[in-house]
Amino acid sequence: MTAAVEVIGLTKRFGTTTAVNEATFTVEENTIYGLLGRNGAGKTTLMQLLTGQDFATSGEIRVFGERPVENSELLRRVCFIKESQKYPDDFKPRHVFASAPWFFENWDADLASRLIDDFRVPMNRRIKKLSRGQMSAVGVIVGLASRAPLTFFDEPYLGLDAVARQIFYDRLLEDYAEHPRTVILSTHLIDEVSTLLEHVLVIDDGRIIIDEDADTLRGSATTIVGTGRAVDAFTADREILHLDRVGGLASATVGKLTAAERAEAAHAGLELSPVSLQQLIIRRTGLSTSESAIAELEKSA
Amino acid sequence: MTVIESIPQVESGPRRTNRIGSVVRLHLVNKASIIGIPLMILGFILLVNIAIWAIIAASVTDRSDLADAQEGLQWSGASFYLFVYMMVVGIMAISAVFPLAQGFSVTRRDFYLGTSVTYLLLAVFFGAVMTVMAAIETATRGWWLGGRMFTAVYFGDGAWYERFFLFTAGFLFFFFVGTVIATIYSRWRVFGTLVFFAILTVLLVGLAFLATVSGSWPAVGSWFVTNGPTGFIAWSLVPTAISALAGYAVLRKATPKN
Repeated sequence: MTAAVEVIGLTKRFGTTTAVNEATFTVEENTIYGLLGRNGAGKTTLMQLLTGQDFATSGEIRVFGERPVENSELLRRVCFIKESQKYPDDFKPRHVFASAPWFFENWDADLASRLIDDFRVPMNRRIKKLSRGQMSAVGVIVGLASRAPLTFFDEPYLGLDAVARQIFYDRLLEDYAEHPRTVILSTHLIDEVSTLLEHVLVIDDGRIIIDEDADTLRGSATTIVGTGRAVDAFTADREILHLDRVGGLASATVGKLTAAERAEAAHAGLELSPVSLQQLIIRRTGLSTSESAIAELEKSA
Repeated sequence: MTVIESIPQVESGPRRTNRIGSVVRLHLVNKASIIGIPLMILGFILLVNIAIWAIIAASVTDRSDLADAQEGLQWSGASFYLFVYMMVVGIMAISAVFPLAQGFSVTRRDFYLGTSVTYLLLAVFFGAVMTVMAAIETATRGWWLGGRMFTAVYFGDGAWYERFFLFTAGFLFFFFVGTVIATIYSRWRVFGTLVFFAILTVLLVGLAFLATVSGSWPAVGSWFVTNGPTGFIAWSLVPTAISALAGYAVLRKATPKN
């Protein structure tokens, strides 16, 4: 597999705040990536850097082997409609869909008109007057119909209702199967997209803290539920990611378990259950925040 | 651009889009607001003016008084709004169309070139409209009422091509001045814009001060007289060109903000 995106030591500072901090990662071609993180974690800044909309403070970016800034040839192959995309005041969705094909060479007009029906986008209403969900739909339609070899979806689920979310999900997978491309999907609604993702990048406070295959990540932790004593005995010499106690019962999240360990746990009367991607990431980001807090304390001491 | 797009699609690869041509089309995709509305407002102002001229003609019965009144009409500023409208178009091109062009993966260079081509096309178009209206105004002796709107004294009394040049260059000036202001705002926000206007004010007041101290106001006055409207507008191409270059220099490092 070849790399669609290669980032080495990428940093972006705005004054005293560091939006992206020494990020290093690779995005494989023809894969669906999730760029996950909390609000303000640096997701949009990172995507703006990858698409040449913003300028790096330091570090290297290669998209399809080239630098993105002011690279007309390269950017033709990239589509990134920001969640907060600004449109001219007098623009209606029909203006967006009329002009998008002039810029995206793989534009599929049939797909676009099907999606416009699916999402029920009002073509003749000013974009300023659209609901949050309808605005998201405009960005999603451009992203899907442009069929750009590298497509970003920035918070595509924002404001979309359950039906529209399902439509996005189905259409993306359907079209992706026929026209493989590299997709980077940013969101803070992790559970909604977790089954779509093949690879997960988690950014927290500007740092890439998780860069893992989605399946590996899903199997990387297990929740053990049982009596407090049994759980304590089992986890005595293991690292605990998270621990909850309710009455005499306890629920602990631990790392990957081997088959033997699973058997041992079952024998001790413990119940094992997989951890959702969202839970896993919440625990990992929570952990990293406290770790960095400790590092800060040590520095200032 | 149409030439390239009319070439049938080759099976092996995607069609090529001409980015600069696409930017021009993007600017003009909503023709109502960029061409229709300004022309409608211009027509409305003309109608209101004709009504006023008719009132003057009907109420002033004395021949020499009427001549006096019509003499004053040459100082009409009624068509200036169109120039100001084009400055707003220049501002919107950067503040609203640029962020969308970035979303459509256009480089700053391609965007700026396409935007400049758009300005040129619009300036020529509105310059032609104004020239035709001026010709009609002259031919009808001021819309049969001695009115002046397109042949106001500032536009001179040269041949049609001189007027056309004057209008077109005037529009270009307002486009690029709007653009340079908007690029400064886009890159450095309110503070940068304030600093820009502060520097501009200091420069202009400084020049006025120099002219006063050196007693060269008469020379300035005679410069305007000798150059005439056409010469003056020809000189305006210098600040227009500076604005155009400065706009690009500033935009090259600008990032659309939310």
